[in-house]
Amino acid sequence: MSAALQSSHMGRRLVATAIDFVLVPLVSFLVMLVSGVMESADAYAGNQIWLRGIGLGVAGYLLINGWLLHRRGQTVGKMVMGIMIVDATSGDKASLWRLILIRALFFPLLYLPLLFSFVGFWALLPLLDQAFILRSDRRCLHDLAAGTAVVTRVAPLPA
Amino acid sequence: MPATLNLRLTWCALFCSAALLLVPGYIQAQCSSTPGLSKLYQTGWGIDFKGQRFALDTTINGGNAADLKLKWAYGFGTKTPRVFPLVSEDTIFIGDANVGLVALDRDSGCTRWVNEAVTDPSTAISHGVIDGRTVLVIAGRQSGVFAVDAISGATIWQRHVNDDNPVPVFSGSPLVFEEQVFVPLSSMEIGLSANPFYGCCTTSGAVASLDLRTGQTNWYRRTIPDQPKVTGRHYLFVEEYGPSGAPVWGAPTLDVERRLLYFGTGQNYSHPTTATSDAIFAVDIDSGEPRWIAQFTENDAFNMACAAGGVNCPDPMGPDVDFGAPPILVTLPDGRDAVLAGQKSGDIWAINPDDGTTIWHTRIGRGGALGGIHWGMAVDQENATLFVPISDLPALPGKDEAEPGMFALDIATGKNRWSSPRVQRCEGRQCWSGLSAGITVADGVIVAGALDGLLEIYDSVSGALIWSYDTQVEFDTVNGVAAKGGAIDAHGPVLAGNLLIAVSGYGSFGQKPGNALLVFELPEEASP
Repeated sequence: MSAALQSSHMGRRLVATAIDFVLVPLVSFLVMLVSGVMESADAYAGNQIWLRGIGLGVAGYLLINGWLLHRRGQTVGKMVMGIMIVDATSGDKASLWRLILIRALFFPLLYLPLLFSFVGFWALLPLLDQAFILRSDRRCLHDLAAGTAVVTRVAPLPA
Repeated sequence: MPATLNLRLTWCALFCSAALLLVPGYIQAQCSSTPGLSKLYQTGWGIDFKGQRFALDTTINGGNAADLKLKWAYGFGTKTPRVFPLVSEDTIFIGDANVGLVALDRDSGCTRWVNEAVTDPSTAISHGVIDGRTVLVIAGRQSGVFAVDAISGATIWQRHVNDDNPVPVFSGSPLVFEEQVFVPLSSMEIGLSANPFYGCCTTSGAVASLDLRTGQTNWYRRTIPDQPKVTGRHYLFVEEYGPSGAPVWGAPTLDVERRLLYFGTGQNYSHPTTATSDAIFAVDIDSGEPRWIAQFTENDAFNMACAAGGVNCPDPMGPDVDFGAPPILVTLPDGRDAVLAGQKSGDIWAINPDDGTTIWHTRIGRGGALGGIHWGMAVDQENATLFVPISDLPALPGKDEAEPGMFALDIATGKNRWSSPRVQRCEGRQCWSGLSAGITVADGVIVAGALDGLLEIYDSVSGALIWSYDTQVEFDTVNGVAAKGGAIDAHGPVLAGNLLIAVSGYGSFGQKPGNALLVFELPEEASP
């Protein structure tokens, strides 16, 4: 990791996550309202409602964070807190496909089962993911899976 | 092998088997997996096609009903069982939500077979014959209609019946006649409307006729002929629709002679209201074409948003006075036929089956969104008496005084013969003392289950209480599932042979949950 970067502070990451946790559902909700995808009886037939809910979550996440992730490796929360996601090996901005297809997908895979059960094996997975932040490099399980790290940039972005 | 070792192994095997039998959960009575089918006591919800709920084949009567004793209990997998048994000479078939459709030995309660595909049974069981094979037909609340081989318990076909409505709900019991299965259809929209971001409402109630062999649709009769249109908008984007509703959530009644099917509808879910809500339909069983439609309450629009204070509540809001109780076909003392229909408002109508005109009308109690007359009345044709259970639960109550209890009316005139008010005895208990569940009558007796958990038998001539049993207690069960009784609601108790069968527990609408199937028996010495 280059000298211009250092592992982010745990508190900053927590606040950034909290900001995203509010903003993404809010945007998803607006998408739902405008698109009407959960407004008709068809949406509630079979298990479609779950698929549509997941789709809305993805849409909300990409709408508010897609551009920032692509250009700067940041979500809105991370931008506010001055932290960013980088390739753990090179320290460069992480590629978008890693951020979307591995890192972002990690969350619904890990956390959605909580909707069905707050006890048992599934409840341990999010805790396990977050527990990895106690490592010296502050890399959670989703960072390890995507080959990323969350860092504080101590020098300005190169031109 | 040495003889001593053989002996020790034998003793060990015997000891281990005995120990296993003593461990709760391992106690399983042994019985044949093949049910007897030479006698089936009911055609479906109505016991007979006319929906009279008169148990002809029972030995229980006014003279011996007081001798009934609990024979065995069974623990359901749900705290809100909405099921009604079908009884044969040696088997009780009944739905057990989260378990399946089960066939229980009538004598011991041991399980002959389970059809686990029926995960959410919610109706009575009707039956027919295909190529000499007896077929049971039951509906799951959201999973659709199932045809099941009565001997093996195997599924023959399953249909979701979403021909016209993507979110059907199956509350009304299907009825089999010849090679048709008549299926009443309600809709999830009654509940979805409570979601303020749901575009209420687009679906119509219906009755479908399915082919008993294949489950394919013969005809599908919407209760609202017009397609819904956008009628408004809220929160800038959420579109409102109408007309909608007029669900069918009671069992249909069959007039074999006229080849008509009678069924009642509920209220509209949204405006504009239609001339087909809170109505009785008579449709041709071969074509599904309506012969007549008689509406008894106009402009009744209501949905669950009204209970939750939601934006989807229709304005103006109606009283929600459905016909949930199935119509009953009777012959009046002067030889004319009549269809008797009871409404949640407490109104009772005698209708001419040929043209839908009213013969007489009367009203009991104050009515309300949960009855008035809720799940079903019964008739003693021989004595020309209609028995009317009144709930009057305080849910959107009418203006008059509540009169929870049992009432007997002359079917010729609607005049009151007797009434037996129920005393409120709910102190310290979660209950209301009204009679909401369907009732069953037999020779000299009426069997009713109350929302306060009491199972009662009335003298059908005088209205006197003959027998009462408090079901809101814990029961040891034959299947090892802990069981407790609660409110008695929905399809109600039934008499068959020397048995009284009741389901206790109903967690909906604030009533007391429970999961007990109770089988009472008339002791041999008390049998006629």
